[in-house]
Amino acid sequence: MNPLLEQFLSESRESLQGIGEKLMQLEKDPASSELMTELFRFVHTLKGNSGLFDLPELTRVLHAGEDLMDAVRNGVVAYSPLLADRLLDAMDFVGMLCDEIEKHGSTNAKHIDNSVRLAADLRQLIVVVIVSSDEVACAVATPLQPQNSNPASQLPLADLSEEIRMTAYRAAVSGETLHWIEYSPSEECFFQGDDPFFQARQTPGILWGGIAARHVWPALAELDPFCCILDFTVLSTASLEELQEYYRYVPDQVRIIPVPGRFFILPHGDPNGGPVYEDFVADALGLLQSGNMVGLTRATRSMLELSNPDLWLSAALRWLLLVTEQEPENVVVQEVIIISLRTLTHPDWHELDASTPIQDGDAVTPRFKPAKQTPEVTALIAAQREVLSMPNDVAWLAGRLKSVAASLSGCLQAIVSTELVASMDVALNESLEQQTSVPLLRWLDSQFEQTPKADQPDTSDTIYMPETVAVPQADAAVKYGRRSEDAYVGPKSIKVDQAKIDRLMNLIGEMVVAKNALPYLAGRAETVFGVRELSREIKSQYAVINRIAEEMQDSIMQVRMMPVSFVFQRFPRLVRDTSNKLGKEVTLILEGEETEADKNVIESLGDPLVHIVRNSLDHGIEMPDVRRAQGKPAAGTIVIRATQEADRVVIEIRDDGKGIDPAVIKRLAYEKGIIDEERLERLTDQEAINLVFAAGFSTAEVVSDLSGRGVGMDVVRTAIEKVNGSIHLESENGKGTCIRLSLPLSMAVTNVMIVESNNQIFGVPMGIVVETVRIARADIRTIKKNQATVLRGRIVPLKSLNMLLGQHDPPKANEEDELAVLIVSLGGESVGIFVDDFRETVDIILKPMTGVLAGLSAYTGSALLGDGSVLMVLDMKEII
Amino acid sequence: MKRILIVDDAATMRMYYRSILEGAGYQVDEAVNGIEAMEKSLQEPFDLYIVDVNMPKQDGYSFMSELRGRDLFQAPALMVSTEAAASDRTRAYAAGANLYLVKPIKPDELLTNCRLLLGEVHP
Amino acid sequence: MSITFKKNCVVFCDMAEGEDAESLLEWLQKHPKGKIDLSECSHLHPANLQVLMAAKCSIFARPKDELLAAWLDTALKTV
Repeated sequence: MNPLLEQFLSESRESLQGIGEKLMQLEKDPASSELMTELFRFVHTLKGNSGLFDLPELTRVLHAGEDLMDAVRNGVVAYSPLLADRLLDAMDFVGMLCDEIEKHGSTNAKHIDNSVRLAADLRQLIVVVIVSSDEVACAVATPLQPQNSNPASQLPLADLSEEIRMTAYRAAVSGETLHWIEYSPSEECFFQGDDPFFQARQTPGILWGGIAARHVWPALAELDPFCCILDFTVLSTASLEELQEYYRYVPDQVRIIPVPGRFFILPHGDPNGGPVYEDFVADALGLLQSGNMVGLTRATRSMLELSNPDLWLSAALRWLLLVTEQEPENVVVQEVIIISLRTLTHPDWHELDASTPIQDGDAVTPRFKPAKQTPEVTALIAAQREVLSMPNDVAWLAGRLKSVAASLSGCLQAIVSTELVASMDVALNESLEQQTSVPLLRWLDSQFEQTPKADQPDTSDTIYMPETVAVPQADAAVKYGRRSEDAYVGPKSIKVDQAKIDRLMNLIGEMVVAKNALPYLAGRAETVFGVRELSREIKSQYAVINRIAEEMQDSIMQVRMMPVSFVFQRFPRLVRDTSNKLGKEVTLILEGEETEADKNVIESLGDPLVHIVRNSLDHGIEMPDVRRAQGKPAAGTIVIRATQEADRVVIEIRDDGKGIDPAVIKRLAYEKGIIDEERLERLTDQEAINLVFAAGFSTAEVVSDLSGRGVGMDVVRTAIEKVNGSIHLESENGKGTCIRLSLPLSMAVTNVMIVESNNQIFGVPMGIVVETVRIARADIRTIKKNQATVLRGRIVPLKSLNMLLGQHDPPKANEEDELAVLIVSLGGESVGIFVDDFRETVDIILKPMTGVLAGLSAYTGSALLGDGSVLMVLDMKEII
Repeated sequence: MKRILIVDDAATMRMYYRSILEGAGYQVDEAVNGIEAMEKSLQEPFDLYIVDVNMPKQDGYSFMSELRGRDLFQAPALMVSTEAAASDRTRAYAAGANLYLVKPIKPDELLTNCRLLLGEVHP
Repeated sequence: MSITFKKNCVVFCDMAEGEDAESLLEWLQKHPKGKIDLSECSHLHPANLQVLMAAKCSIFARPKDELLAAWLDTALKTV
């Protein structure tokens, strides 16, 4: 796969994750504009990136999503659960496509239908669909930022008379909103006593109305006058709310589309006849660019007087006059109208939004064309002209002027017109001194739009009047917040391939082992070679290396640390979806998401946590009416909290559901044959509850419904224990359940106790070691061939490590005839293991068994010790 | 060698620009937002900026005007956005951009404009 | 009745109700060249309007009510 695509996929996944998170947060805080903006940015980035590749299905859906989020961000469309659902669906689809791209390098064409549907679903929320239900948000396309997809671009506005369109345009300029209403009454509406024509005529704020038949009229003999096939169209200045209110009884028959005022500027008339307009176009553009509005109006008026009012040209001129009068600062629109005179075709406002009109600029400067002036050069020069015509009253004027000069000088060099640079520098200095862009602009015009004075005597003297240089207000105030004194703090992070970190981890592991060989070397230097001095030096050197190695190990460990939010982030969605499906109300509270642990630990947490939370949702939390009946709030609460305790991370999952009834568990465990009668009687409630972890218990499906817990809990326990974690469950019948998972912060280093048995040494993970005791031979009882002892009032079964490993040597006792017993905890029960002797505990880097050794289930792995010997670490659960 | 700074929060876009520009022999650096871009500029000014409009923390406009507000930096800047509306373009120019390009940008379009702004002979 | 059928002309007055649509249709089938006088009409039920539109008949007199006239201009051809 090419690296760009790889990068795209990786960034896409992040964005999708982010979108999911933001949507969840928005659900809680639907008014947060900050969240909306972040959400928009994610979708925006995704879509922008997807445009680099040929992934039409992906881009289609994302584009729709972006338009929708843009409308939401601008407050035109309200956030709604429906919107969240659709966006989530769409993002799931995008995620699926990403997976497919990763696997096959491309997407399958079979997704076209889905992508079209999803995009339509999203867009549907943008176009106004008044829906009677209050739950569904009414949405509308953003009127001020029309996209290519703007529904207004499809409207037959050219059918309206010029007078109506001018009225509409004026209304839009004066700040009124314009809506195009399409009302298609049902065929049976006459029988329901409706008069849709009357309804349409009474539309508030009506400017214009039209009637059309839905299809061709049949012959009169076949006409049913009482089957309504009329469509009504209304142009109105009323607000969206007013219109929605007015049409609230026929929401499904009405489409309301906001129309930007600019869309009404459509000259209309006879395109034939009349002079060649090239001269006028050139002059008008010149006047416009120099900001001479008076001159432009005057020139337009005289042109208009000379022309037949029915001509297309005249209509365009009337529009130009109107726009110049109403929005003199809207240079772009005026420019487009003027240029349209050249082709006598409608200015395409939708096109204008899709491409920079200035690209057309080589026609703007028709008089002077350096030999190598390409459209890009022209566009660039036009852009500089536009930059220079921006208001001068900004703090960064000098920088702007210099940057324009730099751009122009680059351009001049590129087109080999460097002789102009000197005069430009003069103009630049003048501009800088006078704190205005006029001199530079004048220079630019003089070089790139030389209008011979002889040809145009009446306009030339007004072109370069500095005081008439237009100072259009930028439509949005540009903030100039930060100053140089501010400190710049940015996140400095890099992405590193997991494999590289693993390699570092392995290397530091080897380093630790190699370092541990030094004390042996020191010992040998002294005892074998008798050089005490050298021995001491080696030892002091060892201390230094030891310290560095430990710090290094720590640092690498830090690199691998991840916040638990990595696994937590999936729960809001899971809880939301599952509780919706079950018809339950659940509030999820996440705490301590920033708590960190090793990547492997975090990753191993995922599945067990999902299992536990699912259980809580399925069986713990009751239905709202049941809860109310018990005096609990209707909405259940699940709290997932992470904390760090010493070198362990503790995850607590607590719900206020119905809890576990120990009596039910006891009975079922007995019925299942998991416990015998004798044990049934002695079992405490806590012990009973712990039975849900017993293998075989969970397979009884009926249990889950009765107890509120128990499905697959043995699976959860196994998964947690595999990473040296422990699980603890507390439950109060009727009040709720709390499960505590305790996991090591890091799995890279394992703390093991070394024990000796039959002249061999073995490692036992400290996580399961309860204590080490020495038991007098006399205290060992034999109960039905099984050995056991009483330890602090409890019976502990005893096994011999040698026997467990298939060796028959009896354990060795010490001088006092005591036997060494290692008490380990397995699945909540204590077992004593006879060994010959205990040794120290060490930190080791555990390597899993590989190759032919992988089949040896008695060991979890091996580690190198400082003296170079290999330590086998026992998997106690397997051997007992 | 001419130095170009890409300021864009989208890693994919940065990689895209970088591959085009490095292929043409430019020295390219990246910044994920305006703040980082300013930091890098303070260390050593660039010959050309390619700035995305929509970025977290500090958007392209405000970065542009800040850059222009410092007398040190007068290198041409090219702003990139998905918005084709004239008002966005005007805003970019007001903030101090020298050229405004609308995404998606073809490699040729990007290179031609960079070459022009950097004063390299037009092919 | 707000619709009066004359020899070769239909005159609409005030509000033309929907019930009249059937008879209007019948009349127009018999008088394909019949003229329509809407000058005194203030509103007509869309059922009547549909008949006028389907019959493609020519409007002899536009409504004096300019607002109604503007609406009808989009649907009917005036003589």
